[in-house]
Amino acid sequence: MSAGAVAQETGAALARSDADGLNATLYWSQEWLDAQAGVIDRRASAGETLPLAAIPVALKDNIVTTDAPTTCASRILEGFVASYESTASARLRSAGALIACKSNLDEFAMGSSTEHSAFGRVRHPLDPERVPGGSSGGSAALVAAGVVPAALGSETGGSVRQPASFCGVVGVKPTYGRVSRYGLVAFGSSLDCVSVFGRTVSDASRVLEVISGPDPLDATSLDMDPVRPAAGRRDLAGVRIGLPREYFPPDLDAGIRAGLDRTIAAVRALGAEIVDVSLPHTRYAVPTYYIIAPAEASANLARFDGVRYGQRRVGPEGDIRSLYRATRGAGFGPEVRRRVLVGTYVLSAGYYDAYYRKAQRVRGLIAADFAAVFGTGVDLLLTPTTPTTAFRAGEKTADPVSMYLADIFVSAVNLAGLPALSLPVGRSEGLPVGAQLIAPSRRDELMLEVAAVIERTVPAAEDVR
Amino acid sequence: MTIGRDQVLHAARLAEIAVDEHELDALVTQMARIVAYVEQLDEVADDAGVAPYAGGPAEVRLRDDVVRPAALAHPVSDMAPEFRQGFFLVPLRGTMEDEA
Repeated sequence: MSAGAVAQETGAALARSDADGLNATLYWSQEWLDAQAGVIDRRASAGETLPLAAIPVALKDNIVTTDAPTTCASRILEGFVASYESTASARLRSAGALIACKSNLDEFAMGSSTEHSAFGRVRHPLDPERVPGGSSGGSAALVAAGVVPAALGSETGGSVRQPASFCGVVGVKPTYGRVSRYGLVAFGSSLDCVSVFGRTVSDASRVLEVISGPDPLDATSLDMDPVRPAAGRRDLAGVRIGLPREYFPPDLDAGIRAGLDRTIAAVRALGAEIVDVSLPHTRYAVPTYYIIAPAEASANLARFDGVRYGQRRVGPEGDIRSLYRATRGAGFGPEVRRRVLVGTYVLSAGYYDAYYRKAQRVRGLIAADFAAVFGTGVDLLLTPTTPTTAFRAGEKTADPVSMYLADIFVSAVNLAGLPALSLPVGRSEGLPVGAQLIAPSRRDELMLEVAAVIERTVPAAEDVR
Repeated sequence: MTIGRDQVLHAARLAEIAVDEHELDALVTQMARIVAYVEQLDEVADDAGVAPYAGGPAEVRLRDDVVRPAALAHPVSDMAPEFRQGFFLVPLRGTMEDEA
């Protein structure tokens, strides 16, 4: 099929999803798709090898592009068009991919439900009353709805794996540094990671292979080859999989437990050795995250001041500081303001040691827990991705801490910089259940190879409860 | 530590974010809840001497978080004598062109 035909089909699918009220897109146009397709078709005709020829890929709208606006779902950046292209999207284009749309997200990627978008919440494709998870909820919903086969999201504390689990798709967060952060709008720089959604492990792997690899434009990028899992693994003989007991609490949702139980049984039947392990500092991951991420966000978002980017408001005093305050007060939504204020507070004089320095040390303990377990010969960890299936819209917006706890099984991975993915392993009362695989640093390939074996064995859309 | 109106307004001033009076009480309640939640890290007693974790390649490491003097060849006052609200004041562009 020509890229031109794919562009027409993709446009029709995007239009249907918008008309259905999914609210997963923030920018696309048929002209824009057609123009990209023209370039792809010309390159293919000239004999170029394009590993993702005309594959439609949605981009979370915190990944900058020069031919489309980047809003981060914030009023403060409404209408902003970047002057440079992100490394991830440039590599997708170079591989012949069709950038399908800029997708909706929680404002500046701060949220777990995509309810905190300035442009309205994203609906769950299976139940519009529920959330798709977040913050990359638009990308997850578009893949789950069959609009695109793959999408880019970003993770700071689980923002791809959690919505992947809620929506029943594959979500892969690589080792910190394996994909360049150049052109990903910064939120928590020590945590941020461009990540991938796919309908299948294979789809996600193909996209990850294209966007990963060293980049001189990101000092934290790792000097490693692109992520390229080997094909052909048929079983899990010789693989040792740990079940961290802190991720299987007695009050775990019964549907989630049923999904994990069948996955554990399948993994064992495939020849893996299952061992019980402990990560004792797990319970401190969310509070640690909610000190470090807001602290980094308060510094990173200082640049949105009404002078250099986007919207501007003149304050009552008419001077520059009044302009900053008015612009930021009106431009940031409630969750972003809360996090910037918390971040400013924990970094402020007199509180730095009690909060930020303490959290940095606990982060070291959390990373050490993982290193200790993997040091005993455990190859991978298997856990639930989320404590429940997709919750109802509005259920957690009144209490920010209850929303934060939706990320209880995903945020430790980001603090430790590890690769992890979420894989659909069944449905509970019609809603997807996700299982999480966590790998040692730089072992992304092993994780994807094992996930592909599990995917072939455990039916993703079968009811478990 | 208790979060009240004064702490929230102080953080808002530092963060250069206008907060309306009518939303302040709700913001104080939410921030107090968040700060009380993260304070459970005080329970962690085995963190003495633990090095902060940093991802990425080993050669990229955080520098010490200390205030250091800026290494300028000439004092700022030699180049830009006027400084107001965090900005250096320079002649208007038209003025400079006229003088040229």
